[in-house]
Amino acid sequence: MRILLAEDEKELSRVLIAAMQSTGYEVVPVYNGLEAVKEAESEIFDAMLFDVMMPVMTGIEAVQKIRAAGNQTYIIMLTAMAEVDDKVTGLDAGADDYITKPFSLKELLARLRSLERRNENYTEDTLDFGDITLVTTEQRLESYNSISLSAEETKLLNILILNSKKKLDNKTLIEHTWGKNEKIDSEMLWIYISYLRQKLQSVNAHVSIYGNKRGPYQLINNSKEDPK
Amino acid sequence: MQYKNQFLILRIKNIKLVIEGMNNMEIYGTYGKYLPEIKDEIMHKIDELNHEIDGQGGRKLYEHLIGRVKCEDSMIEKCQRKGLTLTPKSALSNCKDAIGIRVVCNFIDDIYKLVNLLKTQEWCKVVKEKDYVSKSKPNGYRSYHLIIKVSTPYPDVNEKNPGDYYAEIQLRTIAMDSWASLEHELKYKHNIKNPEQIGNELKRCADQLASCDVQMQTIRQVIHEYD
Repeated sequence: MRILLAEDEKELSRVLIAAMQSTGYEVVPVYNGLEAVKEAESEIFDAMLFDVMMPVMTGIEAVQKIRAAGNQTYIIMLTAMAEVDDKVTGLDAGADDYITKPFSLKELLARLRSLERRNENYTEDTLDFGDITLVTTEQRLESYNSISLSAEETKLLNILILNSKKKLDNKTLIEHTWGKNEKIDSEMLWIYISYLRQKLQSVNAHVSIYGNKRGPYQLINNSKEDPK
Repeated sequence: MQYKNQFLILRIKNIKLVIEGMNNMEIYGTYGKYLPEIKDEIMHKIDELNHEIDGQGGRKLYEHLIGRVKCEDSMIEKCQRKGLTLTPKSALSNCKDAIGIRVVCNFIDDIYKLVNLLKTQEWCKVVKEKDYVSKSKPNGYRSYHLIIKVSTPYPDVNEKNPGDYYAEIQLRTIAMDSWASLEHELKYKHNIKNPEQIGNELKRCADQLASCDVQMQTIRQVIHEYD
């Protein structure tokens, strides 16, 4: 991982750099908020660690500017302020997590490892269910034949596979596929469910989607005796 | 220079083919003259089916229809490839696609509707079928292939008179048809630098076209739900 570190206390900065480098991370150090904003604008990082109290521009302002520019990189605030309100301010400014000083290096490294896991392991390239394979990276459904899926169909089938033991209601499926702000209703969801059903059929899959227009829906494996 | 050589070799090959073709002009023998007539008759029958359905208030079953008699050169090449002797019997009985009809449909459902309809027709008998629509070939090719046998007023290679002739019917959607013609172009280009990558891209394209076909089918069904 490539990490942007904004910490004005030189001594602390040096310790953090050494710890992270020894773990194999690449660290780019800056010493105030403005430098952090400039670095974030010109280069790509996997994570950013920002101190709150810094000269020239505070960490909070830097986060706001970076988020306003559309940058979605994971940001952890290093804050000396343990007050609840300060944590809230940081998170509301756009940070993803915070660690209150004094913190142990062990904890910081554990959080970075956790982030790495989420980025790498939890986003599966392919998902299997019954006799179907969903290749999420290529938006392709495979069984005894293959067919392309749209971005929404891929998301929808992804959720259905990951939650195949549950009955999923319309609201849940819409929110996870289109997000909260989209004007998608049950009628539209029904059309996408219909696309998926037809596509499952067209690859001769022994997998079907249970449910009618009102929901809930659930993915069913009909091929228990006859695995691919 | 290399290009020039290739061109020369191609020309020599063509000349050779033409000469071989001339020597074997008669692979269909005396039966050759019936083939266009039989082809036209089959196309006429399928056209009638379309009008029948159309007349009953249904939508037309296909978008268009084309037919061809395999040229003698291609038939000779096919028989040689299959190790068959160059006789009318090989060309018209062992090989069953001297007459080829292609039916291009608007929707996937129409393919199956037509296949089922053809199976009930008295004028032909389906002797073989291959469903590459529900199980595409590894390169992405999709089509439904039927071999039919038709009774004709003409003598056939098995000394029956009136005799039986075979024809291959390929049914596919417009999207499958465009894909197949692009793939066909690629097959005869031998100077492509990255054939494997292009092949993968073509396969991806086939999956995307299939996706559109299925999507259009679904939308049509949704529209008809409101009826």
